[in-house]
Amino acid sequence: MTVTVSASGLTLRYGATRALDDVSLRLTPGVTGLLGPNGAGKTTLLRVLATAVPADSGAFTVLGRDPGTARGRQEVRRALGYLPQTPGFHPDFTPFEFVDYVAILKELTDRAGRHREVRRVLAEVGLGEVRGKRIRKLSGGMRQRVALAAALVGDPGFLVLDEPTVGLDPEQRLRFRELIAEAGEGRTVLLSTHQTEDVAMLCHRVLVMADGRIRFDGTPAELAARAAGRVWSSTARDAGAKAGWRTGTGAFRNVGDPPEGADLLEPTLEDGYLLALDDEHAEVTA
Amino acid sequence: MYRLRRPWTAPSTAAAALVRPVWRGLPWRVWGVAQGAGTLAAGLIRVCGGGPLPALVLLRAAVLAGALGLAFLLDDPARHTTATVPVRRVVRTALRVALVAPVVAVWWTAVLLLVPGSVRPPVWDITLEAGTASVLALAAATVAVRRTDEPEPGRSVATALLAGAVLAPLLLPARWALFVAPGDPGWAAAHERWAWVLAGAAALWAVSLREPRRRRTVRAPLRSAFRSVFRSPCGTSGLSRTC
Repeated sequence: MTVTVSASGLTLRYGATRALDDVSLRLTPGVTGLLGPNGAGKTTLLRVLATAVPADSGAFTVLGRDPGTARGRQEVRRALGYLPQTPGFHPDFTPFEFVDYVAILKELTDRAGRHREVRRVLAEVGLGEVRGKRIRKLSGGMRQRVALAAALVGDPGFLVLDEPTVGLDPEQRLRFRELIAEAGEGRTVLLSTHQTEDVAMLCHRVLVMADGRIRFDGTPAELAARAAGRVWSSTARDAGAKAGWRTGTGAFRNVGDPPEGADLLEPTLEDGYLLALDDEHAEVTA
Repeated sequence: MYRLRRPWTAPSTAAAALVRPVWRGLPWRVWGVAQGAGTLAAGLIRVCGGGPLPALVLLRAAVLAGALGLAFLLDDPARHTTATVPVRRVVRTALRVALVAPVVAVWWTAVLLLVPGSVRPPVWDITLEAGTASVLALAAATVAVRRTDEPEPGRSVATALLAGAVLAPLLLPARWALFVAPGDPGWAAAHERWAWVLAGAAALWAVSLREPRRRRTVRAPLRSAFRSVFRSPCGTSGLSRTC
């Protein structure tokens, strides 16, 4: 499959902390999930790939363009859509005005064509009906959709989404899932999230980050398979479990190193994720 | 697909299309307050009378009010959403300055006209002070944008400017004095220094106009103070992960 984003040796320090520690990756079209605990370096990686912040060392290309130079960075930005973790808006703008503003910033200066494009993306994210309402009067979920529309305007080839479903209710999350799945058709999407269900439902590939490093790179099924034979049920929390919790049935679900003859369970993506984080020297697959 | 039909766009074309949304997004309310306060100070000179010294003090207060308003020029609540667009930051900043410059010029002219000619300090000298304060405010705002992730650094920049304006007359040694009274033999020399400050501020502004880089590492003792001033927008972790 075509590699659209390729990075090697990305390193970024904040004082003594390595936010990114020799990160290398290759992305292909479709939705790639980026999982990791708080402080893992997910947002930093996304900001580097979105050209919002330069890395201390390492290199990457997006759709064949190198953002290492001012000209290259501009070319990458022409092909990029970025939804930050805390998107901001001009609250007195309407969704149409705001997305139109972003469209101009993305160099869509032909007025008629730009307005068609703005209407298209607003309809795509389900805001066609409220495009004339002030952003300050929209709900959090709708504002998030405005930000997604701003990222999608201009039909970027590479879409970077930083925890887009944070703070959304289950129905809104479901709607967002649909939007991201649609966005992933024919373009490369990098989705940072804490929601393993989102990754399981949406992503053809998943990266797990911890301490600035990629701990796992593979398919969601491969991540879940890491926990095969390491998830078991017991009547009490098992001492050998790295994580364990009482389920609704009253039995404990344990993840870790099971005792002899344990009642093994089918692993989930979350189990694989927990183990990938826990394995200090986890090998990057794929 | 739309992008396939998109031609290369000259910065001037993008800037022309941006005029209306940028104009609407400017912090007019803050400026209204700042320029209103400045106009009020100038009006007091006319209403209350007094000699050249009180007139100069009130006129300098008007200059400060105007500069404090300009400290908010680069406040942009949508900064993070528009962080990675191809239209360069220098174009966007230049457009903001170009849009506000005529408004500021008209306001300053009105302020000067409010002051009776008999007590008005030399117009070019006081305008030099006003220009220097304005460029200092813009340079400080640009540095804040370049060095931090704060979308609206205006309040912090205005606070720093206000502190500087209060402390400078108290702390500057006599040979570097900037705030001299009319008729003082050091008036001309002080305004030479104002010109140097203007040149320095303009140079700092020009250098800082480039795209924002990541924030430099903040030394531990400064970290907590810095954190209270500039909130990080990114990541769910602490300052070490702020970008």
